[in-house]
Amino acid sequence: QILVFLFQLDRLRLFVGLPLDAVSDRNSVNHARAIGAGLKALKLLGVEGVELPVWWGVVENEMGKYDWSGYLAVAEMVQKAGLKLHVSLCFHASSQPRIPLPKWVTKIGESQSSIFFADRSGQHYQQCLSLAVDDLAVLDGKTPVQVYQGFCESFKSTFSPFMGSTITGISMGLGPDGELRYPSHHKPAKSGTITGVGEFQCYDTNMLNLLKQYAEANGNPLWGLGGPHDAPTYDQAPNSNSFFKDHGGSWESPYGDFFLSWYSSELVSHGNRLLSLASSIFGDTEVNVYGKVPLMHSWYKTRAHPSELTAGFYNTASRNGYEAVAEMFARNSCKIILPGMDLSDEHQPHDALSSPESLLAQIRTTCNKHRVEVAGQNLASGAPGGLEQIKKNMLGENPIDLFTYQRMGAHFFSPEHFPSFTEFVRSLSQPELHPDDLPSDEAEATESVQTSSDPNIHLQTA
Amino acid sequence: NPTLLFRPKAKVLLKLPRSLDCSRNRKLPLSRGSCLCSFNPRRTIHVVRASSSETALIGNFDISSSDDILYKDIFPVKRIEKVEGKFFIRLDRSKDQHDWQLTVGCSLPGKWILHWGVSYLGDSGSEWDQPPKGMRPPGSIPIKDYAIETPLKKLSEGDIFHEVKIDFNPISEIAAIHFVLKDEETGAWYQHRGMDFKVPLVDYLEDDGNIVGAKRGFGRLNFAFFPKTLGAVTGQYRIMSQVAYFLVIYRIPSEPTLGDVGALQQFSNVLLKSEASHADSQNNSIESKDSKNKNRCLEGFYEEQSIVKEVSVGNLVSVAVRKSPETGKVIVCLETDIPGDVVVHWGVCRDDAKIWEIPAAPYPPETTVFKNKALRTLLQPKATGNRSGALFTLDEEHFGFLFVLKLDDNTWLKFKEDDFYVPLLGISSVPGQYGQSDSTSEEISSKSYTDGIINEIRNLVSGLSSEKSQKTKKKEVQESILQEIEQLAAEAYSIFRSSITTVPEEVVSETETTKPAVKISSGTGTGFEILCQGFNWESHKSGRWYMELKEKASEISSLGFTVIWLPPPTESVSPEGYMPKDLYNLNSRYGTIDELKELVKSLHEVGMKVLGDVVLNHRCAHFKNQNGVWNIFGGRLNWDDRAVVADDPHFQGRGNKSSGDNFHAAPNIDHSQEFVRKDLKEWLGWLREEIGYDGWRLDFVRGFWGGYVKDYLEASGPYFAVGEYWDSLSYTYGEMDHNQDSHRQRIVDWINATNGTAGAFDVTTKGILHSALERCEYWRLSDQKGKPPGVVGWWPSRAVTFIENHDTGSTQGHWRFPGGKEMQGYAYILTHPGTPAVFYDHIFSHHRSEIASLISVRNRNGIHCRSLVKIVKAERDVYAAIIDEKVAMKIGPGYYEPPSGSQRWSLALEGRDYKGKARPGDYWSQLANVEGK
Repeated sequence: QILVFLFQLDRLRLFVGLPLDAVSDRNSVNHARAIGAGLKALKLLGVEGVELPVWWGVVENEMGKYDWSGYLAVAEMVQKAGLKLHVSLCFHASSQPRIPLPKWVTKIGESQSSIFFADRSGQHYQQCLSLAVDDLAVLDGKTPVQVYQGFCESFKSTFSPFMGSTITGISMGLGPDGELRYPSHHKPAKSGTITGVGEFQCYDTNMLNLLKQYAEANGNPLWGLGGPHDAPTYDQAPNSNSFFKDHGGSWESPYGDFFLSWYSSELVSHGNRLLSLASSIFGDTEVNVYGKVPLMHSWYKTRAHPSELTAGFYNTASRNGYEAVAEMFARNSCKIILPGMDLSDEHQPHDALSSPESLLAQIRTTCNKHRVEVAGQNLASGAPGGLEQIKKNMLGENPIDLFTYQRMGAHFFSPEHFPSFTEFVRSLSQPELHPDDLPSDEAEATESVQTSSDPNIHLQTA
Repeated sequence: NPTLLFRPKAKVLLKLPRSLDCSRNRKLPLSRGSCLCSFNPRRTIHVVRASSSETALIGNFDISSSDDILYKDIFPVKRIEKVEGKFFIRLDRSKDQHDWQLTVGCSLPGKWILHWGVSYLGDSGSEWDQPPKGMRPPGSIPIKDYAIETPLKKLSEGDIFHEVKIDFNPISEIAAIHFVLKDEETGAWYQHRGMDFKVPLVDYLEDDGNIVGAKRGFGRLNFAFFPKTLGAVTGQYRIMSQVAYFLVIYRIPSEPTLGDVGALQQFSNVLLKSEASHADSQNNSIESKDSKNKNRCLEGFYEEQSIVKEVSVGNLVSVAVRKSPETGKVIVCLETDIPGDVVVHWGVCRDDAKIWEIPAAPYPPETTVFKNKALRTLLQPKATGNRSGALFTLDEEHFGFLFVLKLDDNTWLKFKEDDFYVPLLGISSVPGQYGQSDSTSEEISSKSYTDGIINEIRNLVSGLSSEKSQKTKKKEVQESILQEIEQLAAEAYSIFRSSITTVPEEVVSETETTKPAVKISSGTGTGFEILCQGFNWESHKSGRWYMELKEKASEISSLGFTVIWLPPPTESVSPEGYMPKDLYNLNSRYGTIDELKELVKSLHEVGMKVLGDVVLNHRCAHFKNQNGVWNIFGGRLNWDDRAVVADDPHFQGRGNKSSGDNFHAAPNIDHSQEFVRKDLKEWLGWLREEIGYDGWRLDFVRGFWGGYVKDYLEASGPYFAVGEYWDSLSYTYGEMDHNQDSHRQRIVDWINATNGTAGAFDVTTKGILHSALERCEYWRLSDQKGKPPGVVGWWPSRAVTFIENHDTGSTQGHWRFPGGKEMQGYAYILTHPGTPAVFYDHIFSHHRSEIASLISVRNRNGIHCRSLVKIVKAERDVYAAIIDEKVAMKIGPGYYEPPSGSQRWSLALEGRDYKGKARPGDYWSQLANVEGK
């Protein structure tokens, strides 16, 4: 009697991001045919699904009125292609390609700039709303959280036929680039360049109010008048002023601790507001809710970790700032998306004292501790050694089970890139073993018999 | 978490029906490793061709001569034969006892090459260096600056081993000899534990795990089992179970070549060295002490290892069916040249579902019943030759005869993934129907290919262990799926790329800097354009061409075309549109102006740019002048006879003399007149605005000065423009001259006059291709300077290459491309620089898929109008070129292979000469894209 065992490993789930402007501001699908061909190609490659950025500025052109038609069309294409869909709800704007916030929001911002973050020099960051207005009725009588809620609910009811079947995951936009952070670096870090420390973003009226209240409540009213006076500016190195100095920097002073605790806890509270909203809305579906946490890896090798501090993560050589973050995600049963899994230390400029790998490891360890699942993303396709690094992260000792590769477009399908991506995907799906390395037939048969009690192995007799 | 790994998914279910099918239909015990062999699909039939046994087989089959054969077919099959052999490494003193000698030998047949280098004392890492000259055996070839390739030779005919001997002086600075073995025939590499073999000549070297011979006391074999970790390797060679020394890399595209690895290693070493230099200077004293301890005591050793090479062998299975005149029964005669015992596992079926049944007796000798589901018959050796066969006598009502071949317990031979099938019923009506399998198998493959493609990929990519032994046959399907993926990617790429426009840089700042990603000029477009001529000479006949073409818009675009040339749109005296009258009346025999707009819109939607065919040279008049000559125009451009050139007496123009040649059938327009130019510029601007044309195909530009064209193009700002400058090539006594420089010079002069704002059809190349292909004079395809002989050799970015258009071909056939040679023509223009144009009639013909593949190769490899051509061969019967060091192409019956060496080439496309009977050996072109460096 010959037995045949058919079983399959649950493969790691690989997603590919669709172009940021897959749906244009007129709600039509951009490059529909290219996307169609791309979806087919991905399906044939064995990719599990695609990620679709859904923009606030495209859908809600008038407050409370939602036009989902473009995105519905994409969802149908994805469904037809037999792929899964991960939706990223984007409550921020994009500059490249240009996808602004809803016009009515921008208009409000013109007369009321305090809905945006501001830095020490008073410059406003207009790509997303300040977290300080989350619960303030600044949007024509509604709070941003209420507006986000309306958006999410409309999304849920409109896309209900896809929920749980085609749509398997939703990322809640949490800030600049959708990430849980302050817009401390106006320019995203480019690989190969040294990023400055960034700036604290606590100077809009509402942030300053919160700071003032907090300072007074803590009995230090004089500390509530503004942010640190001795922090460097955006592009400067940590040592160019005294706040982030490795030794004797103000960050280690009681004032520093006071300010950083407040600054970081505001960010975590903001994250909590939005994720609890998302999990209450989507909790009854089979869709997983995610939030994205940035990988602020510059200056990680200094004691102060300035880039993380200005971004709102109170993580230093002596304090794990991701505990509070992971705990907040755990509380809301949400998963974390970590970008930058394509970055390796060796490709960072030496002087940047950066360590994406160590930071990644730290965050992942913290998440494990809080049992928060981590999904991966890359920062940019084409980073040197990026695919190898991704593979390492995906298949290493502590494998992640979902990875979103960014992003479909001209470069993605170019002859310079696509063949290496194909090879990458195939190398992921093909077990590392050469057929010759597998046990011989006899040995395998015994092995299979031993495990045949496992209900997941399909057993067939011929 | 191991339980996670076995979570069942729908994917598992996908696989079940297949297996069930197998067990129901095939009546085969499902056993792992059951199918090493596969039917050899058409694409690779040339492998079989190598053996001349086909004719022998047919000739010797008694079935082939008889006239009453109802059906006959020969199935080429490919199976893997294992050849075992030995490989040894020996280190010993040479005869004079002074020098030492390293000998590497291999007993397997093959074209063996030792790829080797040395490392010197003090080298860190695993860098290779070129060995000193004295060490290199005769016949060695240096590979870059770090390796040598030396062929292994048999010392005499009777020898079993191919050998190579390297002599060296043990007191040299050489620390170790490194090598890998390469089989040139298959391109396979032998490595040692995934690294090179390393024979240390001093014993202080650190063991990287790849040292051959023990560190101390050579001769004591000291190998540990090393788990093989090169996952992606699909071996053509198998490693004997216990002696797991060898890893062999099959030529996989994108796997770095050895050369690349070497280069990388060198690079990393440079880095290492610079970092280590500080440490070195501090530890100098210790270092020198250490070096005194280096043990130079060499001891000889000899090691022998078993290896197995899998050679694919082509065989044939021949089946003939005839009717016995006496009994009325059907006799199936099966023969094969597969050596050894061959069992036919067979049955019959009642209908198309091909469900196996056992027919009524009698059965041939040596037949057993297998589980009441099938029969097994051992083929009987034939008296002559190494063949075996059997005769099966069947009742005539059976629908078909099904079989698979069983070579041994684990080796089954099937028809692709399926049973061999021989039709029995109905064939009598078509007596003498031969060679069916070729066409049917093609059909089956393409159908199942599209139907099952998604399912297949699951099995293929995942590499399930239960399927591991089927890898060989999966490979074919896998490749075709990869090709499909590549085509889709190329399509997506071309659309995404064409829409890259502006890239705002800054995030906060209000001034957004923009930079165009692609430089577009009207002479070239993006430089990556592929043009489709979207009509032929008959297109006007239906009266609704615009609407018909609209239906095909996405199809044309999906083939990879970026630009389409539409027929002349204006009111015209001749239905084809080339005798324009009222330029502002765009209702023509091709459709109305609204239909034209609709068509242009659809073409834009699918990402194509649209060229309007504008006839600027001449225009038909509305009215006669006082002499009764037609030279007064009406409509919006109501010019009088001042708009007509003066030097054509037929039309009595009052303008200036023509600035070019005259077209005698209609009044030639005098472009030197300011008002004419102003009106024409306005008209072109209107066409751009109103219709949405992106550019122009300019008719008969020989008729007027190119400087005016420049003026028109600058005013209308087209995305792409191409002019028709067509005159005759140079001939001497009826034979085309090799040198067509004067012909292409005239075209280049015209382009130059337009200041490069327009390209021109490369008539020169078309003409030369005619002679080269038709007369088998491929030498014509290189000019005296070794460059392409047409316009494309001189000004590639402005050459629009083509092989046919509505005038030369179609129903006019003024200068038709040699019949049957079209694909060679396209293989040339679609792989070469210039902007290729494909004629409508060829797109919608049997050439379509090959043209699509060529376009896909072009796009995949980023070949553009300025790509560099290196002509490798231009001989009587073969032309070969390498373009941008990425694509190698060959046309003509002669031989050419892309160079071996550090580049690894994989076959991208192959086609046959369609003229006459297709012979398997008659490939017209072989393209390869290099995937290595």
